[in-house]
Amino acid sequence: MRIPCPYCGPRGNDEFIYLGDATVRRPDPQALGASDAFYEYVYLRDNPSGLHQELWYHGGGCRSWLVVTRNTRTHEISDVTFAAGGKL
Amino acid sequence: MVSFAGLERSTLDGLVRPGHYGRAGATGLLIEERRDLAFASVTAKRGKRFALVNAVNTAFGVALPDGPRRATRGSVTFAGTGPDQWIASADGSEAAGFANKVRARIGPFAAVSDQSDARLVLRLSGPRVCDVLAKGVPVDLHAQAFKPGDIACTVVSYINTQIDMLDDAPTYQLAAPRSMAGSFWSWLTASAAEFGYDVIAP
Ligand SMILES: [Zn+2]
Repeated sequence: MRIPCPYCGPRGNDEFIYLGDATVRRPDPQALGASDAFYEYVYLRDNPSGLHQELWYHGGGCRSWLVVTRNTRTHEISDVTFAAGGKL
Repeated sequence: MVSFAGLERSTLDGLVRPGHYGRAGATGLLIEERRDLAFASVTAKRGKRFALVNAVNTAFGVALPDGPRRATRGSVTFAGTGPDQWIASADGSEAAGFANKVRARIGPFAAVSDQSDARLVLRLSGPRVCDVLAKGVPVDLHAQAFKPGDIACTVVSYINTQIDMLDDAPTYQLAAPRSMAGSFWSWLTASAAEFGYDVIAP
């Protein structure tokens, strides 16, 4: 699998480190029910068949965090953006 | 303050001697260690990118590259290593205290950190240089894809490496972490042996 880094160009996935789901958000620790929310945030993940937004770190290249949209059935990558400055 | 000047030495000392190695009667690769280069990493402070571009232009006459390329004026080079990140380098009279000079000129707009002693730097040339690099460099170095002035930060033999194309001889400059110098040298010389290689005295 090759990931088209917006800074470096297409690179083999061995230059990247996978973090996982890019859509989960850290809950407010002060909110009511924070304990349950943190349990879900830390441990529970969907396992979608198809498009998945996920975080990859280009540690072997430009050292940027990237948001990659990948089809989990085909590994086709339809979008890659920098995580920094985005909507995360 | 304790001075360590007397301890300055190459990380390849004791490992490498100038001479011819590998296949007899052929020199496919020339290897020259560069010990005279000073390096400084430059990272733009948040929201200061445009001010930094102007400051570098004023102080060094260099237009900061906005991608993985290098720009040189005189003995000073800035190479783009990531978004809002560059490696500045200098040789000759600019090299002494280089990081401090860079910090003095652009410090308000960038975090500057001395990297001079952190890197093994080799200049590679010769008729088989691309065949040697093809054994470990996962980036396309074909003349249409990688041109003089282009650089790439990538992984060679599991070692983070910066590759700069200096000219279309072609000459490449490879920089690897100093602590990995022995492993890097092992990969390079094993890859070059079938073509024959010369180690040039620094
Ligand atoms: Zn990258």
